Amino acid sequence: MKQNSKKISFRKSLKRSALSFASMMPMILSIVGLMGLFQAMVSKELLASLFTGDPVKDTLIGTVAGGIAVGQALVSYILGGELLEQGISIYAVTAFILAWVTLGIVQLPLEAEVLGLRFTIYRNILAFISTILVSIGTVWTIGVIG
Amino acid sequence: MKFRGLRLLLVVGLMYLLLFFYDEAKMSVAVKKAAMLFGELMLIFPLVIVVMALITYYVDPRKIASHLGEESGLRGWMIALSAGIISHGPMYAWYPMLEDLIKHGLKKGLIATFFYARSIKIPLLPIMVAYFGFGFTLILTLYILLASVIQGLLIDQICGRSKKCDLEE
Repeated sequence: MKQNSKKISFRKSLKRSALSFASMMPMILSIVGLMGLFQAMVSKELLASLFTGDPVKDTLIGTVAGGIAVGQALVSYILGGELLEQGISIYAVTAFILAWVTLGIVQLPLEAEVLGLRFTIYRNILAFISTILVSIGTVWTIGVIG
Repeated sequence: MKFRGLRLLLVVGLMYLLLFFYDEAKMSVAVKKAAMLFGELMLIFPLVIVVMALITYYVDPRKIASHLGEESGLRGWMIALSAGIISHGPMYAWYPMLEDLIKHGLKKGLIATFFYARSIKIPLLPIMVAYFGFGFTLILTLYILLASVIQGLLIDQICGRSKKCDLEE
């Protein structure tokens, strides 16, 4: 009996999890839709054209561009490699590839909906600042170590 | 069941409609890209649903609170870092599970740590090494781990004391 009631409970918890997901589907579909739009409208060339050649400005631009961009992390590595070849500073490229995976403007509405608006704002501000600092720290450390 | 995000979905739908009249070819590309993304999600969602169900079924909520709650200490940070590194797929695929864990006492700082640690993609590390070098990859990874924990600690400071980040706000 205990075993039977356990089985029912697991089914219930599975159903509950599935329903929780289902309730978020409109939001998730919205995010997916926005990502599709972004990938169609913003080309790699357009992203690359945002950089100015000034390491300080480019680090900020890289963080913002990476935060707005969507797609597989692998794409950011490839794009980052191309940007380096074009002479964009390693600070900017590091910020770009890190922001690509840590920040996400497109999914902010869903994050705020699920985890709370204040948490979302604080977390993303901290992630933005961390990305810049980690990028500077990484490049500086590589420079010191040689 | 209450569906969340219906208004946003309507707005996105209108954006696609506008794009259809403005540039049908681009709309077609957008639809294909979105469909591919959705397809990838469908591979991950069943995993997340099962993980959520297993946690709910097998794990005593008090244990969640002790391992991932306010008193979780170093263990909580290690779990958040490890889970972030191991977790797969887009960030938003994990939101439902995190929402569930918050109700069982997961502290907000660990969520921030989990999210930032997700930037370490183990399967992609060799590719990063190929593009940027081993030293760069190692240093970046170490700084990401450090930044993940610092963010978590700061979020706990900001959100913890004044309960400013509660879901019921």
